[in-house]
Amino acid sequence: MTPVWLALTDERPAGVGAAALVEENGRPAGFLVAWDQRAKPRRGVLRVDPRLVDPDGEAAWVSLVLVPTEIRLPFDDLAVQEARRRVLAQPPLDGVSALMRDATHFEGSIAVERGERAEERLRDDPFGRILPPRLLRVGEGVLGATLPPVGPVMERYGSANPWPGDQFEEQGQ
Amino acid sequence: MKAAAGSGAGLTPGTRFSEVTLTDHAGNERLLSELVGGDPTVLHFYRGWWCPKEQAFFRRLLRLQDEAEVAYSRLLSVSVDPWRVSAAFRAGLGARWTFLSDEDRSVQRKLGLRETTDTVNNPYVPTVFTLDPELTIHACYDGYWFWGRPTEDELTRDLRAVSQDIRPDWEAPTP
Repeated sequence: MTPVWLALTDERPAGVGAAALVEENGRPAGFLVAWDQRAKPRRGVLRVDPRLVDPDGEAAWVSLVLVPTEIRLPFDDLAVQEARRRVLAQPPLDGVSALMRDATHFEGSIAVERGERAEERLRDDPFGRILPPRLLRVGEGVLGATLPPVGPVMERYGSANPWPGDQFEEQGQ
Repeated sequence: MKAAAGSGAGLTPGTRFSEVTLTDHAGNERLLSELVGGDPTVLHFYRGWWCPKEQAFFRRLLRLQDEAEVAYSRLLSVSVDPWRVSAAFRAGLGARWTFLSDEDRSVQRKLGLRETTDTVNNPYVPTVFTLDPELTIHACYDGYWFWGRPTEDELTRDLRAVSQDIRPDWEAPTP
């Protein structure tokens, strides 16, 4: 499966999927950009579960957790493990994905929800218990809706495969 | 292993389980093959939240969950309860796997798994299958009598056997 990369940018780049971001207080917050390509498109991008990205996706609220670069948080950290368990246990959202730069660290997460109670539901984002999340409104054209993870597996299917991706690309853990 | 009670559809080890569509605990229509994906799977049919035997068996599955979550193995639990009831039961149990609803009993009829002695609830006859990713039945357990249900050890052995079959790198690569 071709990797998909996400980044927050100040300007809307040409030729790739992008949607405007707005803070809860209505202030513009740049753009959420998605690249669907094998090569890393630029510095600072993060891998996301490809199923979450959909150019036909409707506008949504997102809970975005980004780990500051000065913090190195192992993906197997107990807090990250417990957040994955909580995602599986809670009523499912429209989608969720861990964000990854390499095969060993947790770099953040994105949780997506739509509907009247979206903001309220995203305040229970389990990854938001690891680091404070940003609650943002994202425009159409980048994020879709996924079926809930089957569970109870909370491991990655290959260390470079952002959770909850649930198929091995190649054999081996 | 013997065939499940009432398994008119021939649900015996070595045969392929029928592809079915059921409603998950969030109200989504799900295909069995999509839910099984590429992993060994425990497919569990239960009477309903109200049955003490089911509550006891779920405690067994909850213990298994803590190992399955790191073992690339899936659990699926199916009943005739409405999906919102299944969602509430799942939440109360602390289960982190998918619960499925067959409220109109169409899949129950297809599989021949109605418990004929309960004419009030018309539930599933308690039955557990272990499947490989092709939906081939590895084992089936008739749980009408509680001791017919698989122990954690039996499920672990089944999941190990299926894993051994489907993981080409089952023997760890070494220098």
